[in-house]
Amino acid sequence: MKPFVEITQVKKKIDNFHLGPINLTIEPGTITSLVGNNGSGKSTLMKLMMNLANTDSGSINLFNQNVSGDEEQWKSFVSYQSQKMIGWDAFTGENLKCFIAPLYEHWDEQLFQRIVEHFAIPLNQRFSKLSQGSQQKLTLALTIPRNTPLLLLDEPTAYLDIPAKTHLMDILVEWMDQGERSIIIASHQIEDIKKLSDYLFVLRNGEMIGNFEKEALTERYKRYWLRSELTESSIPGEVFRDRVQVVSNHPKETEHYLQEKGLQWTNQSSLDLEEIITLLLSPTR
Amino acid sequence: MQLPIHLSNESREPIYHQIEHQLKALIASGHIQAGTALPSIRGLAKDLEISVITIRRAYQNLEYQGFIETKQGKGTFVCDIEDALKQQVKINSVYETIERSIETAMSYNYTIEQIEEIFHNILMSYKKGE
Repeated sequence: MKPFVEITQVKKKIDNFHLGPINLTIEPGTITSLVGNNGSGKSTLMKLMMNLANTDSGSINLFNQNVSGDEEQWKSFVSYQSQKMIGWDAFTGENLKCFIAPLYEHWDEQLFQRIVEHFAIPLNQRFSKLSQGSQQKLTLALTIPRNTPLLLLDEPTAYLDIPAKTHLMDILVEWMDQGERSIIIASHQIEDIKKLSDYLFVLRNGEMIGNFEKEALTERYKRYWLRSELTESSIPGEVFRDRVQVVSNHPKETEHYLQEKGLQWTNQSSLDLEEIITLLLSPTR
Repeated sequence: MQLPIHLSNESREPIYHQIEHQLKALIASGHIQAGTALPSIRGLAKDLEISVITIRRAYQNLEYQGFIETKQGKGTFVCDIEDALKQQVKINSVYETIERSIETAMSYNYTIEQIEEIFHNILMSYKKGE
């Protein structure tokens, strides 16, 4: 199977902000979380993928087509939910569905109705009159049933209540199970990242930190409690220290060093994904 | 269906192995009957907060060993494993558990003789308990 997305050496400068160089490949059947601080370039990357902004250099291919090229077939294979839906305010949910559904060959009306019913979305009210949570629910109801192989979601759960978040995860899991599909999701919600993602693509202030498989990341970090404080300024693998506590992202090297120096640790533990993300995104690493 | 699988990040055993072993134990002990539909790979990935890559690896190993089978378009089902195989799984899991505790003791620098004594003491206390 060919990858759905191939991003190669992409760079983009907006005022003082530099994004990239970005390299990212998305395979069918995977969910990738875009993780980063506010303003790290997640939304910009999605806009570049949708050709809503131009790259300064590098290339983005979706379904083997360059997104800034003349051919536009790739557009029918992607659904994109941005943080703000422009031009929707004056229309009701019913209106919007009538505009959107005919554009998508594989539109799933049943799924749309199910989401609307479950989330109790009022379809007869103007988009602008809905609460932020309801707007987000309606946007999801109008995005997921398009049934395109690739789904791009920019902060889809920021305003959702807890039951809605849980239900959305079930919907997305079921949606993924129906074929060769992939999701790219930008989110600050740790639950989304833990429960949905296979890969974490980490951005820090426009810089690509890496694309990590979830377990590879959690298995890589270990915390040690030493018998006494270290005198060395830095030891192999160390990424964080607080008195007798040392965190390493190369546990083998760290243990080897400690053993060689005859330094003992009283306890060791793994790190939570939240802590790992915080370490990856902290400016002084 | 939610499966009673509990993963430990602290264990030296890789996650896919833990899933594989616990599913085998659930099948061998009859907790999950033959013919039962297992959660989809994506569904189990969500429940256990593990990537599909890891779950797929565990499912593939179990399928290869004949514990489960995937029917195209229908899902993954528990196979009817023979009694002999069930016995073997039980014995293996007992051996593995004991081996793991010996490894733990050895990592604390206990000698074989000391470990023998510990085992002896534990067994004696069980005998007395009867």
